[in-house]
Amino acid sequence: MFHYDDPPEPTGAIDDDRLRLIFTCCHPALAMETRVALTLRMVGGLSMPEIARAFLVQETAMGQRITRAKSKIKAARIPYRVPAAEDLPGRVSGVLAVLFLIFNEGYLATGPDTDPVRHDLTAEAIRLTRLIRALLPDDGETAGLLALMLLTEARRTARVSPGGELVTLAEQDRGAWDPTLIAEGHRLVRERLAARVAPGRYQILAAINAVHTSARDVRDTDWSQVVALYDQLGRIDPSPIVTLNRAVAVAELDGPDVALAAVDRVAPRLADYHAFHATRADLLRRLGRSQESRAAYDKAIELAGNTAETAYLTRRRDQLG
Amino acid sequence: MQYLISVIDDRTNSGTEEEMAAIDVFNEKLQKQGYWVFAGGLAAPSSATVIDNRNDAAVFTDGPFVESKEHIAGLWIWEAPDLDVALKLATEGSKACNRKLEVRPFH
Repeated sequence: MFHYDDPPEPTGAIDDDRLRLIFTCCHPALAMETRVALTLRMVGGLSMPEIARAFLVQETAMGQRITRAKSKIKAARIPYRVPAAEDLPGRVSGVLAVLFLIFNEGYLATGPDTDPVRHDLTAEAIRLTRLIRALLPDDGETAGLLALMLLTEARRTARVSPGGELVTLAEQDRGAWDPTLIAEGHRLVRERLAARVAPGRYQILAAINAVHTSARDVRDTDWSQVVALYDQLGRIDPSPIVTLNRAVAVAELDGPDVALAAVDRVAPRLADYHAFHATRADLLRRLGRSQESRAAYDKAIELAGNTAETAYLTRRRDQLG
Repeated sequence: MQYLISVIDDRTNSGTEEEMAAIDVFNEKLQKQGYWVFAGGLAAPSSATVIDNRNDAAVFTDGPFVESKEHIAGLWIWEAPDLDVALKLATEGSKACNRKLEVRPFH
């Protein structure tokens, strides 16, 4: 019988055991934030303080959340197994959501004393996604999420300067991108295109990243393809964040004034999102509206939780005339 | 492993004929497949009485122990190997009786 209080095995853990554990930790009867914390603790082997720091909650609160979850697993008998084939598709999407959250927390780590990129989290998320892919090699969204993670991870070292400042996609040294990860990511995206099945959210996001990583120079980026992919994404997953990201590509195609109008339309729903203000600040700067740009940078700095991002935004603000 | 399944409702005596027929079909399935332990519908919460005999004299209070918009309109007890099986049955049961269900394990 499996004991939930045992620490995770440091090495040589059997993949089948890990898979069972992932499905238990990501069970739909647990709250989403609990699934993330439990997966990191039980599968990823992170310590309670590490998890608490990653999600900006008190260690005691995180401890209680995990203890409560373990009690529920035991009391309600949440099974420790990979679901039956008929239930697998529904359960896998829940697991992918957890893995994506873990990856994102690693990629844009929050907290004033946190490294800007938590490679342990991104690497763990990729490793676990590979396990799911081995279980379900034909699942499009699993392949899509893996591709998305690989194409993002490939740019990891180029994304933060030696001084600890965020380097935007346009300014990154593309020669520093990891060609092996990019090749694998592109292979997965091509595989999904060849499957001729309507792509889900992760597959479209992976395709957008494939367009970016295919350009040797930012000026070679196929922006109309990026906009078309965001349009496709907006049809299956309409959200103000999709509109915001689409606007970044629109700025390159139609100019910053058109993009700003699109961004301002979603303002009421993204008022607390730092990337909204950062995007606005950049568009206003390009339009020569320095004063408004400065105010937007101030707001973005106030809301950003990532140290590299804060450093970048601060420099950009201070460069305004 | 036994689970208590509470039927959550915001009206009383609200079962329609179609719902009753669907519940009968569902109950038959539960019995045939060996999950059924007990089932029963409850009268309106207003018909409840709370008894408190923790102190010197028993105190009877008219009405349910908690007043809320929603109440328990009925219950099942199922014998199921794990929560996945119970949740799957509850998914079907919620559709059959057209109400929300709460699944809670016994000790």
